[in-house]
Amino acid sequence: MTNGTWRTGRARSGGRVPLLLAGIISVLLLIAGKVHFLPVDRARTALTDRAGTFFQAANAPILAATRWLTGIGHIFSVYSENQRLREENTRLAQWRGAALALQNRVDHYRLLLKAVPDVRYSAVTAQVIARSSQPFLETIVLNAGKASGINPGEAVIDARGMLGRIYVSGEHTAWVILLTDLNSRIPVEIRPGNIPAILTGNNTDQPVLDAMPQNAKLRDGADIVTSGDGGLLPAGLPVGMLRFDGKQTKVALYSDPMAAVDVRILDYRAPIEQMPKPADADLPAPASLSPPLPPPPQPSEATVAQPSDPATLSLTTNPATALVRKSRTPTRQRSADPDTRPRVPIATHGPGQDSAPAAELPDDQDNQ
Amino acid sequence: MSVSSLFAATIPVLSGILGALVSSLPISLTGGTIPPPLLSFMAVYFWSLVRPDLMPPAAALLIGIVQDFVSGSPVGLWATAYVAIYAVLGGQRDSFAGLAGIGAILGFALAMLLVSAATYGIAVVYFWRVLPLMPHVLQIAVSVLCYVPLLPMLNGLQHKVVGPLRSEF
Repeated sequence: MTNGTWRTGRARSGGRVPLLLAGIISVLLLIAGKVHFLPVDRARTALTDRAGTFFQAANAPILAATRWLTGIGHIFSVYSENQRLREENTRLAQWRGAALALQNRVDHYRLLLKAVPDVRYSAVTAQVIARSSQPFLETIVLNAGKASGINPGEAVIDARGMLGRIYVSGEHTAWVILLTDLNSRIPVEIRPGNIPAILTGNNTDQPVLDAMPQNAKLRDGADIVTSGDGGLLPAGLPVGMLRFDGKQTKVALYSDPMAAVDVRILDYRAPIEQMPKPADADLPAPASLSPPLPPPPQPSEATVAQPSDPATLSLTTNPATALVRKSRTPTRQRSADPDTRPRVPIATHGPGQDSAPAAELPDDQDNQ
Repeated sequence: MSVSSLFAATIPVLSGILGALVSSLPISLTGGTIPPPLLSFMAVYFWSLVRPDLMPPAAALLIGIVQDFVSGSPVGLWATAYVAIYAVLGGQRDSFAGLAGIGAILGFALAMLLVSAATYGIAVVYFWRVLPLMPHVLQIAVSVLCYVPLLPMLNGLQHKVVGPLRSEF
């Protein structure tokens, strides 16, 4: 078992590009990548888009064989599995009824409180076509990119919890930085208690929690979910369970990046905070540029602001306020258009908060 | 240069690129607890010793860049390590290429140790933090284990395909 006929080519070793030049080029590439001088990510995604065909072609028989082998194993447990699923289905049907009733009640309370509806988001399902588990990074490649509406920063989840987030997307592929990667940092909160923290990847299967309040009372097994701070990720995505490991606070992730095959990418956009629409009585005097409005009703003496009140003074004399008011007028007139509809709490029963569950309930559940 | 000769000349580089692609496939017999073997480096190591005329520094650089791209590593990380180890191997080619049997495996293990040390050092500077060592140790171990069955295959490729097609040597 020798290394072969090495002597055959010794005389012509060296190649056209000298070793020194190759070394310089490689170091320059490293530096250029570090300082973001080169469009490395664009080149990477372009290459992955082309190599994606190879990855998918190579994956197909492996996935088929895996599923086939898994299916064979399941044949022997079909009867017991069926019994278990029947029992579970019965139990879940009872829970569904309770959940619908509670959802109806929550909707009713939210309506009474004029609460801002939860932000809903759509999802794209993609398949893992490549995985890199190098000693200093943990990434996966998905077979969906910009053509499917995938954008950097979006959360990637599997059936159990959050896997990571997109950090670069090509036309047909996207790279996911896993929660376990050294460069991964996401804002999370520990429940119960809603204790904020930062989940930091360390290239092991259990990332650590940083930046927690000093006097936070933590317990083993506490739930870790995304906090939504910063508006990049939706709040409440399940992440894992808290585990104490000596002095470190680690998180046992719910998701399994190594077993994930089909994942979902959440199309989440943090809602743009809008100023509450003032009532007509709250509006300041019309600015010179705005069209004349009918005179407001004469306020009573109790509601007339004193000139010495600086806040009121700035409100009534600020021309920007008048411009804002002017631009809002046509928006209000176009309220039939759902995209431009202002956020009126009573009317904004969001698209995700459809009334379907309530419609399935008996009428008497409204009175619970 | 005939077509067959040209084809033979590209086999070392193509085997390195194929190794980089295969390493990135989402297959793991260990549930992801052990990093995949560094197949692309096996090609660089083998061909730079056996047929350095077909594995010039530019080829090692190219394979390293492909490894960087498909593995998601910072561009230049593996490329720099490969070129550095290529330089080391070039200086000690007589010692490494003359190894046989267990010695050939130990030679590769030493080269893996060097490339892992180089990568670790570059990554520590690049990310500016101390990185865990255990994944590197595991990657060295699994790569050396995989080199045992792959070495006869690479030898066969050299003797039965590359050698005859490049008969002018």
